[in-house]
Amino acid sequence: MAPEMTTNLVLTAPEHRVGADLDAWLSGSGGLGLRLALETPSGLISLMEAAGLRGLGGAGFPTFRKWAAAAAEPDPEKVVVCNGNEDEPGTFKDVFLLRETPHQVIEGALIAGLAIRARRVVLYVNPHARGAFDAVAKAVAQWQEHPLLAAVGAAVGGPLRLEAMRSPGLYIGGEETAVVSAVEGGFPFPRRKPPFPAASGVGGHPTVINNVETLATVSHIVRHGAAWYRGLGRNGAAGTKLFSLSGDVQRPGLYELPMGTPLSELIFVHGGGMLLGKEFKAVFTGGPSNTLLTRDELDVPMDFESVRARGSRLGTGAMIVVSEGTSIVRKVAEYVNFFAAGSCGQCPPCKTGSYQLAHLLQRIDTGLATRADLDAVEHLCDLLPGSGRCGLIDGAVTVVASSLQRFRSEYEGQLAGG
Amino acid sequence: MVNLTIDGRPASVPEGTTIVLAAATAGIALTTNVGCMGQGVCGACRALVRRTGEPEVRTALACETPVEDGMQVSFLDRVAPRRPHAYSETDLVDGWTAYERVLAVFPEAVRCRHCSGCDRACPKGLEVQKGVNLAASGDIAGAAAVFDLCVMCNLCVAACPEHIAPNHLGLFARRLAAAGTQRPADLIRRLHEITSGAMTIDADACTDKQP
Amino acid sequence: MNPTEIPAAGIPWSEAIAALDGGSAPPPAITDAQPLLRHWHPDHSAGGPRRLAVGASAGQDCPAALADLLQADALIDDIDIAGCATVSTEVLVIGGGGAGCIAALTAAEAGAKVLLTTKLGLGDSNTVMAEGGIQCAVGAEDSLQTHFEDTLRGGQMAGDRALVAALVGDGPASVRWLIERGMTFDMEEGQGPSGRLRRKRAGGTRVPRILSFRDVTGLEMMRVLREAAGLHPRITVWNRSPVVELLSDETGGCVGAVIYSLHLHRFVLIRARSVVMATGGAGRLHLNGFPTSNHLGATADGLVLAYRMGARLREPDSFQYHPTGIAWPPALRGQLISEAARSLGATLVNGHGHRFVDELSPRDVVAAAILRECGEGRGVLRDGCVGVLLDTPALERARPGILKTTLVTLCHLAHKAGIDPAREPVPVYPTLHYQNGGIAIGTDGGTEVPGLYCAGEVSGGIHGRNRLMGNALLELVGFGRRAGAAAAAFQPVRPSGRANLGHVQEWRRALVAAGLPLDVKAPVLFPPIAGFDLAADRALGRSDLSARSLEAALQVL
Ligand SMILES: Cc1cc2nc3c(=O)[nH]c(=O)nc-3n(C[C@H](O)[C@H](O)[C@H](O)COP(=O)(O)OP(=O)(O)OC[C@H]3O[C@@H](n4cnc5c(N)ncnc54)[C@H](O)[C@@H]3O)c2cc1C
Ligand SMILES: Cc1cc2nc3c(=O)[nH]c(=O)nc-3n(C[C@H](O)[C@H](O)[C@H](O)COP(=O)(O)O)c2cc1C
Ligand code: SF4
Ligand code: SF4
Ligand code: FES
Repeated sequence: MAPEMTTNLVLTAPEHRVGADLDAWLSGSGGLGLRLALETPSGLISLMEAAGLRGLGGAGFPTFRKWAAAAAEPDPEKVVVCNGNEDEPGTFKDVFLLRETPHQVIEGALIAGLAIRARRVVLYVNPHARGAFDAVAKAVAQWQEHPLLAAVGAAVGGPLRLEAMRSPGLYIGGEETAVVSAVEGGFPFPRRKPPFPAASGVGGHPTVINNVETLATVSHIVRHGAAWYRGLGRNGAAGTKLFSLSGDVQRPGLYELPMGTPLSELIFVHGGGMLLGKEFKAVFTGGPSNTLLTRDELDVPMDFESVRARGSRLGTGAMIVVSEGTSIVRKVAEYVNFFAAGSCGQCPPCKTGSYQLAHLLQRIDTGLATRADLDAVEHLCDLLPGSGRCGLIDGAVTVVASSLQRFRSEYEGQLAGG
Repeated sequence: MVNLTIDGRPASVPEGTTIVLAAATAGIALTTNVGCMGQGVCGACRALVRRTGEPEVRTALACETPVEDGMQVSFLDRVAPRRPHAYSETDLVDGWTAYERVLAVFPEAVRCRHCSGCDRACPKGLEVQKGVNLAASGDIAGAAAVFDLCVMCNLCVAACPEHIAPNHLGLFARRLAAAGTQRPADLIRRLHEITSGAMTIDADACTDKQP
Repeated sequence: MNPTEIPAAGIPWSEAIAALDGGSAPPPAITDAQPLLRHWHPDHSAGGPRRLAVGASAGQDCPAALADLLQADALIDDIDIAGCATVSTEVLVIGGGGAGCIAALTAAEAGAKVLLTTKLGLGDSNTVMAEGGIQCAVGAEDSLQTHFEDTLRGGQMAGDRALVAALVGDGPASVRWLIERGMTFDMEEGQGPSGRLRRKRAGGTRVPRILSFRDVTGLEMMRVLREAAGLHPRITVWNRSPVVELLSDETGGCVGAVIYSLHLHRFVLIRARSVVMATGGAGRLHLNGFPTSNHLGATADGLVLAYRMGARLREPDSFQYHPTGIAWPPALRGQLISEAARSLGATLVNGHGHRFVDELSPRDVVAAAILRECGEGRGVLRDGCVGVLLDTPALERARPGILKTTLVTLCHLAHKAGIDPAREPVPVYPTLHYQNGGIAIGTDGGTEVPGLYCAGEVSGGIHGRNRLMGNALLELVGFGRRAGAAAAAFQPVRPSGRANLGHVQEWRRALVAAGLPLDVKAPVLFPPIAGFDLAADRALGRSDLSARSLEAALQVL
């Protein structure tokens, strides 16, 4: 089968990579989407529905639903937050978009603002993402004087505040209710849901929180239509997706591919295959819910549904490839440690439970654990989900459960006494 | 009988049994995570507990928590502070510098993010966060009092995202308060009587059983 | 009469509650306690003491269950320790309770490199459970001499006078040492930190002499000691590492120990210049079928190991049954209700509502009196559990608020039992509490075995045949310091001699010669309820652990 090298780049197309220069952005195809949206703001939500745009920040939640929920609220002080907190290992797509195409992202956020009639649009950017905040701040400054922004303001019934802010730069700061806390000026503590931010978010106002990649896509949908967007994908999936490929491959990097591209193609064609002499073992998918894909799943089309059908998650599109000889247990322990360290502290079961998981995994990895320890791991996977206000602990459990499901023998082989 | 699951093992025990005793019947060796066996003072039997129908998972000391039907229990190992907060006995004596030492030995204390995780984690219901904040603001005696009944289970160590080690900070405050300020007059007088030779013991003096 | 045969006869709970009027007449005075003790105290129980046939104390009596362990074979053989990892230290301290931590701290402060190895976690011990307090003669009306005499008399004149004098003489300095390390003591009401110490009266004493911190004195002491030991740069702590045997040199001196690592599932050898045994008591042997107040690790390990190596025992037949263990519910039976309740005035009444003993008599007398009441049908029955009543409601009526402010632990325990002590009395029954005797020591904590020191509950000679409340904590401080200092200063005759199980071979010969079985093994390490099986646990050990990962693992023990 001839590999279908992608040519239809959207978000990463060279002509869009103009950096923070607004004039350069508007002199190309930039701004067209926003102008079109200004003509028919009331059709935007159904347009997103027709296009099948889903949240690309990890959960794949239909974007139109969030927008519709917020739009339906009577409160005039609605808020859009572009979530650029990206902080987990192996994901590096949002930093690229924010640095190289800040106006693409801002335009999408303004369209979202139009759609829900927001009076405030916040670009929430991880300060540790190199170059991202500077580019965004510069880009936002240029919009302030531009008549297009005033036009959006007029359309939403009052001046629209567009601003860039640094996120606290903690992993947990990306969770949507933590985003709300942080934008309000506090520590990024997640909150219990409901209420969802679309009903009550920043300062109690209805708030749409979308990922950078999601919002970057919006102007293109407005410009080219729903059918075009749907046609970008393969295997019935819509659009394109940014994949952050890393690990034991020849050419790690960021790849924009049709949604639904098979995993094997990403690794063996775009990624140039495994590093010399290494044999493929598994992929850790990145995102708030980490899972594993194995050799048996190399053929999986990388879209939300297909990956889920194999019991895994597409997540943020981060694909971390590991080769034979890598200890799955150790890798998983690293992940769990990351989660444990990132837990905000509000919910003791999340913090202490993830530490306990990490502790048990480390014991298994060093050959000091017994069957009882493995039983304890599985029991925690049963007990912990849902015990925190946000999804962090569930994420920690998912990676453990997913690895146990696929590599149980590796765990068992490590047990003391066989 | 009450049925529950402990670290993945089913247990079936009479009502009124504690989790620790139930664990023993479930075939879990009681060689770790247990000490005083019921008094609730050694802090070794930390556990996470989910009760039937409750979404919440709570911390508990397993030796003082009675079993309930459908309970799920996971024991928690002792989490040591990420780094030892080291000081020596000579750090304890000078009350004028006690606050400086608190800040120097526990620099994390001023970074409390007020997540209340420690308060929620404490199986003894202590106002841990308040204790941390008192110590960080120089009220050593106030902080010490908060930790009067702390059993050093270290659950707050595991729970604190800022690695403050609240209980060890509390204990430092307690030790500073005692070593730095407690000077009982009657004890001092008795020590003087002994060192000056005024009070001695006649080891052959007592021969009768009844006083 | 054998107290294990708990009488089914007794007065039903509801009747006993109805009979309780709180204004009960004073109890009959006891002029000579001996008949009561001989008839009712479990030390004299019908199951009978056994006479030891081998060892340095052959000919002495002790409870049969303990004798079995004292005269048992070792858990390990040369083959088990061949090729084991070996570490070296100057002073090895065995046991992480109060005595062990204090010995370790004292030795380390004297400049020695110390390794402290303990069975459970550091501080998980009897010490942390102590509630009532510590004796120390600081009162103006009190004196070292009074304390000395009270202790000797309380022990039925069986104590070693030199040891008792050392104990009480050290008292004030011991309390100062504790304060210097950051332990808090309650002051008299309304007094600041330089006022007078608050004193309570203990059973069997003439003046109030118990110093305390609320009713969690052991907790306050232990958390300070654990922190101090844990932070000391010259002390290394190994948790989950019970000692299974001692190591001897060719002169019969003690030069280390073998630990079993519950973490690594294997044995590790520790060579040391000197060894301090501080493994505490024996409550978890449940002698004579009694419940116990002790922590899980109290299984007489140190007693067994030191005896096997040639140390002598004192009063190994004398145990303290604390009068007031909680009698009901079954899950809590045996847990302690501190003597503080009685010190503050709570009375004991039988099923008829009558007081039957002066509540502040020595513990052996009060315990025997309770067993008499129960044995003669005047006990109270609740769900098949027999006991007498501690009249906490009357105490609360007489001194409103006292339960909540001063008897926190009692309230906590009652709460767990589902009893409101302000309204309901608490059923109590004697609980196996303390080993009065133990390994014979000199005033420096030294034993007959060169290089082997003992401190704390494992040692004998101080309390005679009955220990007074508060003297155990005092002992572990004073003698912990003495043993730690002596162990740090100890210089062996032949420093670079061998370190092996030579004494075990000799011991086996003696067992065979005495016709004793070799199939009983000791120490037991864990009571049956813990479900620990050494052989099965060893099978979990991995032989392919590299020396480096082993060393790394030992660091984190
Ligand atoms: C409930 C209770 C209340 C008490 N109240 C009082 C009181 O108010 N006043 C008072 O003076 N006394 C009181 N006592 C008695 C007093 O607490 C103890 O006698 C004293 O603390 C003993 O100290 P120790 O250090 O010798 O032993 P422990 O504190 O018991 O420490 C011994 C340590 O050695 C460990 N160990 C055992 N075997 C091994 C082995 N093979 N290898 C390694 N380690 C081992 C144990 O696990 C333990 O950690 C009370 C006792 C109890 C149980
Ligand atoms: C622990 C945690 C961390 C998260 N971090 C991020 C993040 O860094 N960036 C992000 O866009 N979404 C993150 N999310 C997902 C957000 O909660 C939210 O679903 C997302 O921003 C919504 O955008 P989308 O619908 O456009 O994907 C995180 C979720 C969790 C549970
Ligand atoms: S303060 Fe911390 S160590 Fe102390 S009892 Fe509470 S959780 Fe445990
Ligand atoms: S857990 Fe730590 S950060 Fe959170 S409130 Fe307590 S001391 Fe503060
Ligand atoms: S076993 Fe000591 S607190 Fe539970």
